[in-house]
Amino acid sequence: MKVVTGVVGNDIHVVANRLIDLSLQARGFEVFNLGVNTYLEEFFDAVVETDADVLLISSLNGEAEGWCREVKILKSKYKNLDNVVFMIGGNLVVGTGDASTIVPKFKNYGFDLVFHQVDLNTGLDALEKYLETRE
Amino acid sequence: MNLLQEEREIILSNEYIEHFDFAEVEEFVKNASKDLFISHNFRTKNKMLVQPRGGFPTYNKMYALYEFFVDANVDVLPCTIDSNTRLNDYATSKKMLRLSEESEVDMLNGYPLVNHGYRTTRKMITHFNKPVSLRHGTPDARLLIETAIASGIFEIEGGPITYLLPYSKNFPLDKAFLYWKYVEKVCAKYSTLNEPINRESFGPLTATLVPPCITIVIQLLEMLLSLEEGVKSFSVSFSQSGSMNQDIVTGAVIRKLAKYYAKEINCEDAEVHLVYHQWMGAFPMDQNFASQLISMSTAIAAMVGADKIITKTKQEASGIPTKEANAETVANTQYLLRILNGLPNVVNTEEEENLTLEVKAIMEAVFNDSADTLWRKVFNSIKNGIIDVPFSPHIINHNEMITIRDTNKNIRIIKRGNVPIPDRCFEYEKSKCDLKKDTTSIVNDIIHDIGIMQ
Repeated sequence: MKVVTGVVGNDIHVVANRLIDLSLQARGFEVFNLGVNTYLEEFFDAVVETDADVLLISSLNGEAEGWCREVKILKSKYKNLDNVVFMIGGNLVVGTGDASTIVPKFKNYGFDLVFHQVDLNTGLDALEKYLETRE
Repeated sequence: MNLLQEEREIILSNEYIEHFDFAEVEEFVKNASKDLFISHNFRTKNKMLVQPRGGFPTYNKMYALYEFFVDANVDVLPCTIDSNTRLNDYATSKKMLRLSEESEVDMLNGYPLVNHGYRTTRKMITHFNKPVSLRHGTPDARLLIETAIASGIFEIEGGPITYLLPYSKNFPLDKAFLYWKYVEKVCAKYSTLNEPINRESFGPLTATLVPPCITIVIQLLEMLLSLEEGVKSFSVSFSQSGSMNQDIVTGAVIRKLAKYYAKEINCEDAEVHLVYHQWMGAFPMDQNFASQLISMSTAIAAMVGADKIITKTKQEASGIPTKEANAETVANTQYLLRILNGLPNVVNTEEEENLTLEVKAIMEAVFNDSADTLWRKVFNSIKNGIIDVPFSPHIINHNEMITIRDTNKNIRIIKRGNVPIPDRCFEYEKSKCDLKKDTTSIVNDIIHDIGIMQ
């Protein structure tokens, strides 16, 4: 399975990004890590280029909310991405927010899996389970 | 006119500079008070110099900060530059400076030196008559350092590697090498007029599980790049690692090897100093705990035998510190240094030998690169992963090396990537760690190891 990952927006927080990369590799995924400071279009281009199965976007400074409103528009523009699993995790809003309102919001933006302030391995367990049930 | 002077005139003809008077600046440096030169202070003050961090947007607030520091018996004043200036965006820093002046609210996270200009800044610096250290993070610092030296700031921190790999995702590294070559040349040129201008490298890098061998290699290479251009006073630096033993070993090895490699390029006449940064990782929120951590850092700096210590404040976890908190650390650090006497001389031969072998092997691989100049050799070595900085966000960095802490909290290499760590050393590093764990628990360990002081 191929995963494209990276940190969205003008966010330079690199530590978690490296740990996501390591953990995905340990679980047997082929990882294409775009690193920090990545724009939404770059993620989509990479998914097309690598023929990825999963797009895992992360965010720490909370910029994700501003950027991810565009996901649906880009999905329709790029086409043929229906089989790609869209996942987002990290700290998804600036300031404080409740997962019960944040998760539906991001699902509405076009994500299949949303994890707000959830432990990395819990999130990746859920991803693997989701991929199993889909097969 | 030579090429350097031609480039300088282009750099200094800028809408943000009011006529740069080369002859007047040279005259100023030639006749400047020796006290302004940290190189002179290193030689004459028989103690570890204490330098805090700090910078405010307006002249008045900067002046007030310096007054507080001087009252706290500071040895070296900092001039920390705002983030817009660091990215050469002088238009934004100009606007934000005006807003800060008009509203009394700070709209910048440092002192916009280029916008204030050297004529204004020089008044403040000559008034306090203490050495000032330029703290920035700028890949292209050509205009900034010209303005700094003209202002009487005779210590310039940074370097092409240490100001790029921890801070930027895609600023071209080859350009950074060339921009910093200009900085070295200008510092060398002014160094012939009075006491030498001191250059300092930024050893903490990402301050996240960086193994000592990588820190030392990068310190040595930036030192060599500086000395080969004619700089005569240089400070290598590193930050608290989390293990007192490892810090003492790092200090011993970096001192020894700095001397060795300077001699290799016939620059043994240059003075090399050692700077220690108090803990640069995540700080505890509890301000009492933070103060304890800071005191411990000072004690380790004394054990390391540092020539200068750069301080933190108890407010580190919560944002930009107040001038009161900043001055408090300076006073406390001076007090602690005064009462820390009769320190034992700790030598760990086994660890020193291992670290020396690692550094020499990496340095040899860099020198063996087929490029014709040192900066190109270093550039290629970073590009092909011979030098690999853990947790650098830059796209050129390999990110293949993995480090964790052993039971004594020493940082150990468990995956070397392309870094030519000799087999014997690699076995030694691994022998200190529990390698039976799976990646998931190693990742959890890394998360814990990063937040060790919280």
